[in-house]
Amino acid sequence: MEGGRVFFQQLFNGITIGSAYVLIAIGLTMIYGVLELLHFAHGVIYMAGAFSALVAISVFKADIVVAVLVSMVCSGIIGWFVELFAYRPLRNAPKITALISGIGMALVLENVYRILFGAQTKAFPSIGVPQQTISIAKNVSTTNYQLLIMIVTVILVVALQIFLKNTKMGLAMRATAQDLQASSMMGINVDRVISVTFIIGSALAGIAGTFVGLYFNAVYPSMGSMPGMKAFSVVLLGGLGSIPGTIIGGLFLGIVESFADGYLGNFVVGRDAFAFVLLIAVLLIRPSGLFGKRIRKV
Amino acid sequence: MGSIFSSYNINIFVVAGLYVILALGLNLTTGFAGQVSLGHAAFYAIGAYTAAILSTRFGFSLWLTLPISAVVTLVAGALLGLPSLRVKEDFLAVVTMGLGLIIQSLALNLEITGGPKGIGNIKPLAVFGHPVGAFGFLVFELIVIVVLTFVLGRLVNSRVGRALLAVREDETVAETLGINATRYKVLAFAIGAMYAGIAGSLFAHYFTYVSPDSFGFMESATILCMVVLGGLGSIKGSIIGAIILSIAPELMRGLADYRILIYGLLLVVMMRYRPQGLFGTNATTWNVTAWRRLKDRRARGDRN
Repeated sequence: MEGGRVFFQQLFNGITIGSAYVLIAIGLTMIYGVLELLHFAHGVIYMAGAFSALVAISVFKADIVVAVLVSMVCSGIIGWFVELFAYRPLRNAPKITALISGIGMALVLENVYRILFGAQTKAFPSIGVPQQTISIAKNVSTTNYQLLIMIVTVILVVALQIFLKNTKMGLAMRATAQDLQASSMMGINVDRVISVTFIIGSALAGIAGTFVGLYFNAVYPSMGSMPGMKAFSVVLLGGLGSIPGTIIGGLFLGIVESFADGYLGNFVVGRDAFAFVLLIAVLLIRPSGLFGKRIRKV
Repeated sequence: MGSIFSSYNINIFVVAGLYVILALGLNLTTGFAGQVSLGHAAFYAIGAYTAAILSTRFGFSLWLTLPISAVVTLVAGALLGLPSLRVKEDFLAVVTMGLGLIIQSLALNLEITGGPKGIGNIKPLAVFGHPVGAFGFLVFELIVIVVLTFVLGRLVNSRVGRALLAVREDETVAETLGINATRYKVLAFAIGAMYAGIAGSLFAHYFTYVSPDSFGFMESATILCMVVLGGLGSIKGSIIGAIILSIAPELMRGLADYRILIYGLLLVVMMRYRPQGLFGTNATTWNVTAWRRLKDRRARGDRN
């Protein structure tokens, strides 16, 4: 059954890419949750994560586990820096200024990497294990890289849920997402909560960048711009500010994209814009996303 | 380079002029009506491709394609604005960004738009059959800018303009005052799109070549930056913001690789030290409620 094989291949491709979308978009959702801010520098942080892992492996001869940790730490720090420098001073200014500040920051960081590493695409250094096909059942197969990405995503998502539900900081984060001002009156150090949110969200984006770089064997300074934009559509698909919604939105987008790619072939709307066609179609039916809370009218 | 009107400089001025028109249009949508759009380049593209197709297939000159592009983008703006404006604020920003990407993707994939190669050999501007050259084009463009600025100035100071301001400040209150908010939002979106369409047709006939690369997300973001930098809701601001942000990268040519980096830094620093823009009034676009609550509390003497 050739059809069945192709079907499962596309499904696993979709889930893999979807996992990366989930990891990027969770950060955006969390940041939107606490600050109600569209964070336009998130894609750059994803790119920074990929480059950090690349440097860790090719220069410092680290193995993939260490490289992933390095990319988490580096992108976490960069995300924190973006928050401190581009967003914190604008906390009380109109939202649109923070949006522009974020775009400016994205331009700065992307060009720093372009100057440091050059604009051309770099191959991801070998991690010792080549990509291999793993057969699960008759006609159902995946690859070791795909499995790695899917498993790590599940672990991270579960860890994040445990963090949010069972720690004091997680509680503070959920409170801040509900009402920033009330939380600060209840003695929550809102500035710290926001910084931690940025660090966690950025670390997740950094891992996503590393995985996508590894999976497609390509790392380049502008690699974050499309995923960064698509992550917004994922966040909206799931309903702004809802983490479970984001997870389903990301997987949904990854799978739909993969099947559209596999079966529709050269569609009039390219693969990258397809996410937004989907988003607009969903928003026409449900203006607050698939799982969104009804938005209060202002 | 000697003269200020060297062909190199004229090129820069013409491009700055295109951005002035784009920024004026977006300022109506975002500054006056309060609807943030990150997809203004979509209408720029529609205008440019309309002119390009009409010029290459039917031999139309700019005198015909400009009004046709204006009408096409006005209609396109209304048609695309109607569903988009159902969603608000952050949703709208992302949806318009998506519209921009979809239109760019269509230009890239359709046959009539020439795919990634784009469309070339568009007729340059001619007056009574005489090609006017780059300087003549600049003069014509200036006339168009003056007319469009005048029209926008009249519009925002009219009944329509006041209705738009009311919608921006508080949609619910505006509705209770009998203003059909949706209608005015779509109107502002469509007229903003029309300005972009006019700029697009000028673009097509000036460069005589259009391709999808010219209408990406960065283009939309740049136009929004110009409007915010100049000050939301200020016509003078849009013009000066557009001129500054289109000429600044040219002045920094010598910095080569560091040009965009410094440009980005400029945006961050400008927003930090002058969040209301150069000529901004206290336009409370987008984050109306949170901001007003803060102001109210301050007015009542509470510390925050």
